[in-house]
Amino acid sequence: MLDQNTLDKYNPIKNKAYQLIDDEGIPLSKTWQPELSDKQILKAYEDLLFERTADLMAVSYQRQGRMFTYPPNLGQEAIHIAAGMITREQDWLVPAFRELGAWLAKGVSLQEIFLYFKGNEDGSRFQKANRMLPVSVPIASQLVHASGIGYAMKYQGEKDTAVFAYVGDGGTSEGDFHEALNFAAVWDAPVIFIVQNNQFAISVPLKMQTRSINIAVKGIAYNIPSLLVDGNDFFAMHDALAYARKHAVSGKGPFLIEARTFRSGAHTTSDDPTKYRSKEEEEAWAQKDPLKRLKGYILHAGIASFDQEEELIAQFKKQIDQEFEAAEKHPEYKLDDVFAYMYAELPDELKRQKNAYENFLGGVK
Amino acid sequence: MRYIFKFPDIGEGLEEGKIIEWYVQKGQNISSGDPLVKMETDKVVTDIPSPKSGVIAVTYGGIGDTVKVGNALVEIDIEGVEGEAAQSVAADAPKAPSTEAIDEKGFGVVGTIEVAGDGAFLPAGDEGIASQKDLLTRKKALATPVARAMAKELGIDINQIPGSGPAGRVTKKDITENASKVRLNASPVSPQAIDPTKRYRYESLSTIRKTIAKNMLRSKQNAAHMSVMDEVEVSELVAARKRLNEALLDKDMRLSYLPFIIKAVARALKNHPVLNAELDLENERIIYKNYVNIGIAMDADEGLVVPVIRDADHKSLIQVARDLKDLIDRAKERKLTLEDLKDGSFSITSYGSIGGYFAVPVINYPQVAIFGVGRMTEKPIVKDSQIAVGNMLPISMSVDHRIVDGGEVARFLNEVLGYLRDPLLLLAFEGGNHGL
Repeated sequence: MLDQNTLDKYNPIKNKAYQLIDDEGIPLSKTWQPELSDKQILKAYEDLLFERTADLMAVSYQRQGRMFTYPPNLGQEAIHIAAGMITREQDWLVPAFRELGAWLAKGVSLQEIFLYFKGNEDGSRFQKANRMLPVSVPIASQLVHASGIGYAMKYQGEKDTAVFAYVGDGGTSEGDFHEALNFAAVWDAPVIFIVQNNQFAISVPLKMQTRSINIAVKGIAYNIPSLLVDGNDFFAMHDALAYARKHAVSGKGPFLIEARTFRSGAHTTSDDPTKYRSKEEEEAWAQKDPLKRLKGYILHAGIASFDQEEELIAQFKKQIDQEFEAAEKHPEYKLDDVFAYMYAELPDELKRQKNAYENFLGGVK
Repeated sequence: MRYIFKFPDIGEGLEEGKIIEWYVQKGQNISSGDPLVKMETDKVVTDIPSPKSGVIAVTYGGIGDTVKVGNALVEIDIEGVEGEAAQSVAADAPKAPSTEAIDEKGFGVVGTIEVAGDGAFLPAGDEGIASQKDLLTRKKALATPVARAMAKELGIDINQIPGSGPAGRVTKKDITENASKVRLNASPVSPQAIDPTKRYRYESLSTIRKTIAKNMLRSKQNAAHMSVMDEVEVSELVAARKRLNEALLDKDMRLSYLPFIIKAVARALKNHPVLNAELDLENERIIYKNYVNIGIAMDADEGLVVPVIRDADHKSLIQVARDLKDLIDRAKERKLTLEDLKDGSFSITSYGSIGGYFAVPVINYPQVAIFGVGRMTEKPIVKDSQIAVGNMLPISMSVDHRIVDGGEVARFLNEVLGYLRDPLLLLAFEGGNHGL
């Protein structure tokens, strides 16, 4: 488990990522033992495999013309699965848009996720996921909400509640990121800022995005304890997040984690990464793939043998297909819903718009 | 059951894609999710997976073919799902089930974006295709604001237009096609505006027009155009030409001014080789040409052509005039060959023969200079402190400033204009090796 000494050792200024297992999944220290049981580790692996399978299938659905758009998670799953294990029922999840495994852990159904990317608002009406905001497309705008929620939790005296707020490396160049960090730090809001540094803001590489040596150092400016973590190392992520949550709910204020990772897929299905990055770069990062590394650890530790992985994947696929078909059968969302939730009393301009659209739809009835 | 899989819009607003590779062929068994074809689009190059399991019945298009979004890519025979499929159709489109036995849903959720365009997508949701009869009897047409605005502009009652789009939505195409039939009677709109088919005429680009467009753009995008204009008093040239033409009367030959200009330019190029060169940026060097091939811009019926007079510096005035006549005749008869058009090292455009005083000619890239000749006019000039009548020839020249500087152009022009002012000088240098 992380402690203050380790945090000092990994001061972001030193630009060294906190890491527990190597590229093959072998522990870097012979004395290190995971905080998790074998069963928990195996469950984490299965969740990661499920996220990956669902993610690849989502891209396939989109390519079949059955879904508008989709932002692939490939290569970043360790962050999501670790965060999913740490996030509690009462905690808030404030997503960006590339945290599939974390959403699933919070209780969002795949059907809802598919609905969202099929353009149906019902996809954001989570049936089971409590305390989770909808996907935020305007980059970094969600972080100000997260800081506000964190402050509200503190104000209302919810002592064991943290806010898990996600943003990408590109989002850290937005003003909202800095406002949110400053506010959370000033008010000791229990927010865990998770920056998924996947190296590219769509096509802009990190080097062109910031002069900072890494993103974690930005947290230092606001006097927020910050840690640069190997985002493809499930154990390091789990450890860092567990510490971050403990820190946040103890009243010490926010924590920032830069999870250094790589987006192995495209930014979205409308993007072609071969236009802005090299095969060599992709291959180098493939060596650090989070699924491969966790699997390597499990084999090394003798926890499981993966004899039945193919059957497992086949079973996942079937389940994912069912969720997708359910999303396809879901009815169109109602016009009223577009107007219903923002205002208690609809302003005149929105009344006019609603009326105009009802007239427009009149032709169908 | 036969399932038609149509090329979906996989990139938020694509219109078409190019087939790069087929992974399947007729008769092949496939499972849903298996790649069918690799497509190149404006946004990505990607595999398109199959949404269904079954046997490939038909594939549409070969490698390199362009497929419009919404057009069929493959047809798949799905066995043993008759009942299930029928059920799903019924559930999805209870109001207006398709009259065809083909399950046409599912090829493009993406295609149902509410743009009533030419894509003419069928919906994947609960909308169906209503019959035209239903559409004509209903009161208010379903259409996008764009289509409504178009109808309004044309003075057409959109409610009278049968719609062919999703759920009978009236598309822009429907309006265009039915405009003449359904017109508002008391329309104040002009006849041209009413019938949209008469507002524009479409003509495919000819090969030569495409080539001209490409070459012009290439020149403007690659060369740093700089132009100089001047005029020269050519009374001596007028007189010389007159005398020569009198002498040539029995030779069935008549000289225009152009051969004199070609000779003057060819002569001057020998002293200013950078204007008879090419910039080889890739290898960071200048390619000087040890030949003077003058391209002459001609206004042929089908568009601009620039045939070449080879070795103009070594040919006599009469020979240049003969070559020029030959090229003009063959340009008119469309008998120019590729050989006539290639290897020019410098170009001349005599736009003044049609009209125009000064111009900014476009360099015939990768050449680096073009000389333009305007319309010769009698003008009052000051000569020996007296007003006199001069024969003024305006000229305009464009160069690629990347390798040709202003001073060099001015010196070149001084020499050329000197020959045109006093054509006797040309004679002095005739024959090549004169040591000057």
